[in-house]
Amino acid sequence: MFEQTTDKNWSLLDKQVLETEYDIVRIRQLIRSHAKGIQMGIVDQTRITTAVSELLRNMYNYANGGEVQIETGPVEGKMALIITCSDHGPGIENLEMAMSDGYTTGMGLGYGLPGAKRLVDKFEIETQKDKGTTVRLIKWR
Amino acid sequence: MMNDTKKDLKNRINHIEDVLASVAAGDMEARINSEIEDDLSGIEAAIDLLIEDLTDELKKREVMQREVEDKLAKIQEQQKTILQQQQDLLELSSPVSKVWDNVLILPVIGTLDSQRTQVMMENLLEKIVETGCTVAILDITGVPTVDTQVANHLLKTVTSARLLGAECIISGISPAIAQTIVHLGIDLSSIRTKATLQDAMIFAMKQNKRSEDSRPHSRFADADEKNE
Repeated sequence: MFEQTTDKNWSLLDKQVLETEYDIVRIRQLIRSHAKGIQMGIVDQTRITTAVSELLRNMYNYANGGEVQIETGPVEGKMALIITCSDHGPGIENLEMAMSDGYTTGMGLGYGLPGAKRLVDKFEIETQKDKGTTVRLIKWR
Repeated sequence: MMNDTKKDLKNRINHIEDVLASVAAGDMEARINSEIEDDLSGIEAAIDLLIEDLTDELKKREVMQREVEDKLAKIQEQQKTILQQQQDLLELSSPVSKVWDNVLILPVIGTLDSQRTQVMMENLLEKIVETGCTVAILDITGVPTVDTQVANHLLKTVTSARLLGAECIISGISPAIAQTIVHLGIDLSSIRTKATLQDAMIFAMKQNKRSEDSRPHSRFADADEKNE
């Protein structure tokens, strides 16, 4: 998965499991502290935290939870924070629609996925019906 | 002579079978305790040893099981406390207070999950009806992350307050959060926002004065002109 960006030189900072709504807050705070830890500015901290928050909410609302992996390492020659969220949910049926503004299958605003994409430097998504969805967010330091 | 030995052997084997049956049935005291030394006694001693080991293991398992049960009970107790505290926090964290004629303040601190927003909205709407205030300030200085769900909750709160005749002002949006909201693509232009609580207060009080001076005017009309 994600052949083009996966790198052996990345070091794992944290691995967390999302089960309850309170885990969203806990993981979000972790991301913020890791972003701070690699000297990201306050704006970038807020951006990556918010982007992760969107994904966590999707995972919680639609896939019954999932896993989050936080890594740091070089991407295209620059140091980055890499966050991989994966779930075993129903998958996203219409990815193109889901990535467009204002489209929602639930009660949300429909800006979650496209918004998260705009908040980070690199955004990769893989989804398979009834198997789950994996999203990778990359934010350069 | 031969028959006697055979009989003896048969008896001993029967005894072994009996002991094994008792152990299987749960009697851990049963032992073979053979006094005769011959080819069979090695096996008998080994069986006795095995029973001994099994007894030990069973005892250990019992102790461990009791420990696990104790721990589980403790965890359940702790979970109860956490749930209780969450409930308490829910009530504590949504105070709505009247700070001036016609002006309500709702300081929001921490994370806005669906449950909290529900309580917050109910408290605010009840207070609006109860006090008849027409301006409510939602201060989100203490909210570290505004994602689309939080924004959605805020929009819904403001809309329902408007249905009751109260205008909401959202204050305390940090520069980082402002940029994030724009990138997310959320449109908050239908909501009046101010950078600080102070700005919001000043605006609300000016509003108050205006609406006292000239009743028929729309509340925000004059201020809008001045702002632009």
